[in-house]
Amino acid sequence: MFIKNKRSKTWPRLVLPLALLTLGGCSRSGLFLLEPEGLISQTFYHYFMLDVGIMLLIIIPTVVLTIWAMWRYRKGGNGSYHPQWSHSYAIEAVVWGIPLLTVGVLSYLSVKAIYDVNPYNPGVIAKAQQAAGGDPVEVDVIATDWRWLFIYPQQHIASVDELVVPVGTPVRFRLTSTSVVNDFIIPQLVGMIDVMPGMRTKQALVADKAGTYVGYSADYSGAGLSWMHFQTKAVSPAQFEQWVQSAQQSPQHLSYAGFNRFARPYIAVGGDQQIFGQVQPDLFDQVVGEVMRGKVWPTPMAMTENMVNYMKKQRAEQKAGDY
Amino acid sequence: MLVHLQGPWNPLLGRLTLQQIPYENPILLGTFIFAAILGVIVLGATTRYGKWGYVWREWLTTVDHKKIGVMYCLVGLVMLFRGFIDALMIRTQQAIAIGPNSPGALGAVHGYLTPFHVGQIYTAHGLIMVVFAATPLLVGIMNIIVPLQIGARDMAYPYLNALGLWLTTAGGALVMLSLFVGNFAHGGWYGFVPYFELPYSPGVGVDYWMWAFQLSVLGTTMGSINLIATIVKMRAPGMTWMRMPIFTWASLSTNLIALTSFPVLMVALGLLGMDRYLGTHFYTAGMGGNLMLYNDLFWIWGHPEVYFLILPAFGMMSEIIPTFSEKTLFGYATMVIASFAIGGVSWGVWLHHFFTMAAAPNVNSFYSITTMLVGIPTGVKVFNWIFTMYRGRVRYELPMLWALLALFLLLVGGMTGMMNAFASNDYMWHNGLFVVAHFHMMVLLIAASVFGAVEYWFPKVFGFKLEQKWGKWFFWFMVLGTGWVFVPMFFLGMAGMTRRLDYIPYTQWAPYLHITLVGMAFYVVAVLFFVAHLYVSLRDREKNRVGADAWGTSRNLEWMTHSPVPAYNFAFIPHVNARDEWAWRKENGIAELHAGDYEDIHMPKNTGIPLFLGLLSMGLAFALVWRIWWLALLCLVLMVALIIIRSFDRDTDTTIPAREVERVERAARDGSSGSVPPAGVLGDAVIATSTVRSGSGGIGGNTTSPRPSWAPRNR
Ligand code: HEM
Ligand SMILES: [Cu+2]
Ligand SMILES: [Cu+2]
Repeated sequence: MFIKNKRSKTWPRLVLPLALLTLGGCSRSGLFLLEPEGLISQTFYHYFMLDVGIMLLIIIPTVVLTIWAMWRYRKGGNGSYHPQWSHSYAIEAVVWGIPLLTVGVLSYLSVKAIYDVNPYNPGVIAKAQQAAGGDPVEVDVIATDWRWLFIYPQQHIASVDELVVPVGTPVRFRLTSTSVVNDFIIPQLVGMIDVMPGMRTKQALVADKAGTYVGYSADYSGAGLSWMHFQTKAVSPAQFEQWVQSAQQSPQHLSYAGFNRFARPYIAVGGDQQIFGQVQPDLFDQVVGEVMRGKVWPTPMAMTENMVNYMKKQRAEQKAGDY
Repeated sequence: MLVHLQGPWNPLLGRLTLQQIPYENPILLGTFIFAAILGVIVLGATTRYGKWGYVWREWLTTVDHKKIGVMYCLVGLVMLFRGFIDALMIRTQQAIAIGPNSPGALGAVHGYLTPFHVGQIYTAHGLIMVVFAATPLLVGIMNIIVPLQIGARDMAYPYLNALGLWLTTAGGALVMLSLFVGNFAHGGWYGFVPYFELPYSPGVGVDYWMWAFQLSVLGTTMGSINLIATIVKMRAPGMTWMRMPIFTWASLSTNLIALTSFPVLMVALGLLGMDRYLGTHFYTAGMGGNLMLYNDLFWIWGHPEVYFLILPAFGMMSEIIPTFSEKTLFGYATMVIASFAIGGVSWGVWLHHFFTMAAAPNVNSFYSITTMLVGIPTGVKVFNWIFTMYRGRVRYELPMLWALLALFLLLVGGMTGMMNAFASNDYMWHNGLFVVAHFHMMVLLIAASVFGAVEYWFPKVFGFKLEQKWGKWFFWFMVLGTGWVFVPMFFLGMAGMTRRLDYIPYTQWAPYLHITLVGMAFYVVAVLFFVAHLYVSLRDREKNRVGADAWGTSRNLEWMTHSPVPAYNFAFIPHVNARDEWAWRKENGIAELHAGDYEDIHMPKNTGIPLFLGLLSMGLAFALVWRIWWLALLCLVLMVALIIIRSFDRDTDTTIPAREVERVERAARDGSSGSVPPAGVLGDAVIATSTVRSGSGGIGGNTTSPRPSWAPRNR
């Protein structure tokens, strides 16, 4: 059940001079996309490096050619002058041929990559799972204005703005939103998937290394977007079990009625992590259904036009969290 | 009222109340004072120097394609400045509001702008730059140059041309108005559903955005009809398709894109309007609405739109590079094919704007491949420009510098675009700063081409060249600014930083954000150099007067007539013998302008109706924004009435008599081209003849002729 990532991580990092700038450890540099720590993000990284390499193979010679032509054929330079020369079949063949060839190769790679990281059934995870066996962890994600609720239906628990996953185990998500469109991403682990109201999308990831990774919404969803981030803690399977058990002790319970209050617009300026020890079964499906039937949690004008007062109040009410 | 509105409404003023005037916001108050002072100066000067008659006769009511083009460019320039200020505010906010301990001011928790305010700023920035800066600048230049390049005396529909201008201007003015009355949309320039629906955007901001957008859609669609008709029907005799200048080809392909795509946007916005005004459920999450429909409709316009912007820019590069390489364009036929290939493919790629919306992998694969296909004709164009310089004699004057900057930006933008098209990459950085940096490379390419084109064609329109010294400072500081702002932005893209943040939670990103601020400082200096460039050019204009062929090595018809171009463009409609006609004539020693038996020239007559329609459309939009129903109805009725009145007016043409043409031509040829009655701003002796009544025969009055004489006759 423990999935080991076999893809080499070292060679492409040498290729990329950008990596020089990422002096030191991973979270230090903040260049999250260049420090993949999950199976999906590493697959992206692999294709990304190939893509950049192939593109540079074309772009660098083109830049050199341009600068050479600019220099050699400057007025007063040594280039020979042929004002009427404007056509050559050989050159035409080359200038159509090179882009055609490049696009052909890139298209092939792109399609391969799309199937490998396809959010609904990533090829790389399917393959790894086949080899390792075992069951994935399921997480239902509900984006509200402007918080993330993570429900673990198998464990009957839920957490707010904090996602805990076991290392080396596939995690499969179902996602929906209560209000507007958000975009779920944990850059070091997995790419984006839209989170849409009244609809269900899917995503999957495997974390390779224990650690804390940031996640956030990438699609503009309103005034609270900048604070709509969460922490992903990748822990060992044993620690995950421990966390589940302690979470189940939490006295807070979540039913649809409680969720109805929870989902009202709220800007988590100081962070807002909560744990629910007991969650109504099928809460996710009920939310999708209610929204589809027309349920909305509207944004009061006081949270748009009069932001200033709202933010002050919010700030005063919350302890200044730090993340 | 069919929908539930938050806040008060009354029949007289709709949703408008005193609280909607944001006088307590120091930033907006300052802006208002600045705008008011500027307005007083401009209006005061016009009154002081008694220029109202001149402004009215020669500009506000004109149907002359050159003046309309100049006004489009002025609108574009003003909006470019506004958009730049917006950018400056976003960048400063993001350079301050980093990490939980960053300071806050003016009511913001971090930085000096609240999320709501930041949202308005980047929404306005995006909409303005795409729709009210780039589009008017490009349309303006096409307006001026295309008729000249094909040897026509005006556009096919001069009246429609003016109408397009005033509708676009009304849209831009509406965006400006939202600064001082109410607020603007705060979600992003392309609109989000269901975020832009009433429950989540209860204010008037989205309505301002929607109606301003709609006005520009109308204006641009009209413009595209006009340019297509002009190019197809009004080419000078002898100008076969394959003799058409490349910029005209670019204009044709780009306007075909506009004509076919803008109506889709009108529908997309119209359905949103029905949701917001009539309570329908096209894009809502529930009640059978489908929010994905909006994304499809919007980007079916949105992607062709970006090519609508880039093709004229390519056309400009294709004019400038041969002129300053003193050589024919390499691969003319390929260039034409590539333009149309880009136009054609641009229709089949829109899904790449939402690869992350969970389409099946085979669907994403399809759109990934079609998007990459665009890279082929684009790459071909790049090579053709390089081979145009090859075996040429390249002169590095200002227009050429801008064109080459555009070429390099295209290499970066094209490469990063291809990387976006690689869908697995896009999953990681969609809605991130990598995408933002990508399209800014492209949009700055357009800006660079426009600056190049303005330097290049300015002497044609105004009769004198812009000076070079300050212009070069301006150029180099734009280069510096672009590097310093956007290179770090690519890094931020690699950091996974997303768009539209008003607060940045991760302090590791701070160095990059600070570097972009340095870049903005370069841009600010560049703007100052630009002002100096304009000022010195105007001051020294007598020193920089030029003849017909300002650059000496130009190749197309527009350089054959006088600079500045007389109202009627060509005293005699030229007969075209070759591709690059003007170069051909110079080579064959027949570059002398024909002089002799001048004839009366029939031209379209000025009219104030487009201006009034523009004003009324703005009134209508304003009334709809605030839901002042009686005012909306009134404006609508008046508009319809004006249109009907105009349709009965048969006195729409005028004649420039032969002796007047002769006088103008002689003055132009007598060396001192400075004394030509110009089509531009700088002369007082502006052609009074446009108001001369038609005398004998001809087109004016009630005679019905199938073809006015501003159009060349048969080919
Ligand atoms: C080789 C040609 C090009 C390719 C392959 C390409 C590809 C792409 C892709 C895939 C995206 C979507 C990225 C995302 O949102 O995740 C995108 C966005 C964008 N591109 Fe390009 N592009 C190309 C040329 C252009 C040109 C010529 C322009 C403009 C003149 C342009 C302007 C834009 C804009 C404005 C956006 C973002 C719109 C938004 O989200 O606000 N692109 N491009
Ligand atoms: Cu959906
Ligand atoms: Cu696109």
